[in-house]
Amino acid sequence: MADQAIIEKSSKWDRVKQNRLIKNIRRHWMLYLMILPGIIFYIVFKYIPLMGSVIAFQNYQIFNGILGSPWVGLENFKMLLHYQDFHEVLRNTALIALYQLVFQFPAPIILALLFNEVRVLIVKKTVQSLFYLPHFLSWVVVGGIVFELLANQGIVNAFREMLGFEPILFMQEEAYFRSIVIISGIWKEIGWGTIIYLAAITAINPSLYEAAVIDGANRFKQTIYITLPLMLPTIAVLFLLNIGNFLELGFDQIFNLLTPMTYSVGDIIETYVYRAGVLQGQYSLTTAIGLFQSVIGFALLWIFNRLARKSEQGLW
Amino acid sequence: MKQTIGERLFQVFNYLVLIVLASTMIAPLLHLLAVSFSSPIAADSKEVFLIPVNFTLATWEHILQNEVLWRAFGVTVFITVVGTILSMLFTIMTAFPLSRKEFLLRRPIMLIMVLTMIFNAPMIPFFLTVREVGLMDSIWSLIIPGLISTFNMVIVRTFFLGIPKDIDDAARIDGCNEFRLLFQIYLQLSKPVLATISLFYAVGYWNTFKSAVLFLRDPSLWPLQMRLRAFFTSEEQLAAVDLIMGDFDFNTTTLKAATIIFATIPIVMVYPYLQKYFVKGAVLGSIKE
Repeated sequence: MADQAIIEKSSKWDRVKQNRLIKNIRRHWMLYLMILPGIIFYIVFKYIPLMGSVIAFQNYQIFNGILGSPWVGLENFKMLLHYQDFHEVLRNTALIALYQLVFQFPAPIILALLFNEVRVLIVKKTVQSLFYLPHFLSWVVVGGIVFELLANQGIVNAFREMLGFEPILFMQEEAYFRSIVIISGIWKEIGWGTIIYLAAITAINPSLYEAAVIDGANRFKQTIYITLPLMLPTIAVLFLLNIGNFLELGFDQIFNLLTPMTYSVGDIIETYVYRAGVLQGQYSLTTAIGLFQSVIGFALLWIFNRLARKSEQGLW
Repeated sequence: MKQTIGERLFQVFNYLVLIVLASTMIAPLLHLLAVSFSSPIAADSKEVFLIPVNFTLATWEHILQNEVLWRAFGVTVFITVVGTILSMLFTIMTAFPLSRKEFLLRRPIMLIMVLTMIFNAPMIPFFLTVREVGLMDSIWSLIIPGLISTFNMVIVRTFFLGIPKDIDDAARIDGCNEFRLLFQIYLQLSKPVLATISLFYAVGYWNTFKSAVLFLRDPSLWPLQMRLRAFFTSEEQLAAVDLIMGDFDFNTTTLKAATIIFATIPIVMVYPYLQKYFVKGAVLGSIKE
């Protein structure tokens, strides 16, 4: 009886809520009309593809579609684990991601601290605009630049010859690929990355520095004990955002630097999924890889967010 | 304030490092510009650094007469202009209701949209969806699947939230409906943020590459970036010419350098005008999540 009452009560509550919604729609129908195209966009191009991930658990066949293709459970994932290519691609992805985190992530922080020490405004402005520029070039263009500079007749080899070394075909050598990825990544994005940190530095209360000067702190000590600690929340947030996309290295960059000669060290999940999935039609298997990537990304985000929250700097 | 010797030394060192690093940002472009104006023999014998050797316009004449390149340029201009306009329209019309207290569903819808920033659909289901919708080998595949950037939408919404509510009341008393409130009042007050966001969209469309790789099989629809990539990798279109014509006024090295510069010029030209907006935008987008 008591259950019955609760159900009745809750359904009554639902009805009240429903009425409220209908009334709200009637009164503000224009707002609902306005957002309709946006909602359709999100359903079609965000949520339907998200649901489409279920083909990782199917043996997807184009002509039968998602509804008609047979379910195979975890078969695709099991297959992956025995798959030589998968191990290589996963290792490349994780290694490049790790190098990016170690080398590329701190680069703009250091640069922002150096910018902060520049007192001549015109020098600061000029230098900054030069640093921002590469961010606006596409990876196709940056890739083209990298290939040209490192080519056999490129300028880097010209310098090597001037110093008496043999020219190297950098882009075809496995040994250099990851370094080239990291250095070109830093070159393109280091300046852009400083913008946020500079904003964080500007927000620091100047009286802190005044107090530190009275206590006898020099510029270096001010940087270590005031600027850096107060940048920490910003650094933490950006670090978390980075971690969440840990395995999503950016298709454009790798795709435009990769050659068949460097597949063994440079082929990452995204470029592999493109070749095996889009070009060769192994839809289910490559979706399983994609899903694997998303799940790892989310797990890392969740773990690091928990850690960050302990010091009250989490994303949520 | 008095400086110690250590601090002075650091200052000098700091200026030096920054100036050298900043030059490396622009030096590769200047070098390729010099190569594009040099004779192919000089370019291949590694004589060119920042100043053209045996100055020639032949490479540029050839590039600027290349119809395939201009066609791709036209495609890119089209998707940049049309795409930016459509993206702005969609973004604004989505952000506005989400910034209104009267809009009852604003919290759940906002949540659903922001979640897509964390949960990305894998590439293959996205590809299959776009194909199902019938956008394969259509120029619209470069625009429609990426119409709204959630990141940009959140920035616009945050800005709308900051507009004082007194203005709404005044407008309502004057008989404004929601559409007029948005287009005649809110948009007028949000010009700086709208300029920033349209800049982000425009740069994104100008650099469109991945969508073209995924969705366009027909080369006549390729945007500039895709065409450049084809030039760089296959070399066929570039190399074929200097074989057939026996023309030694240019070769693949100088042609590649010139195409890189060709694709960069429009960005470098608008860059000074963009600067005052993009810093503001990057800060807006990152701090107020």
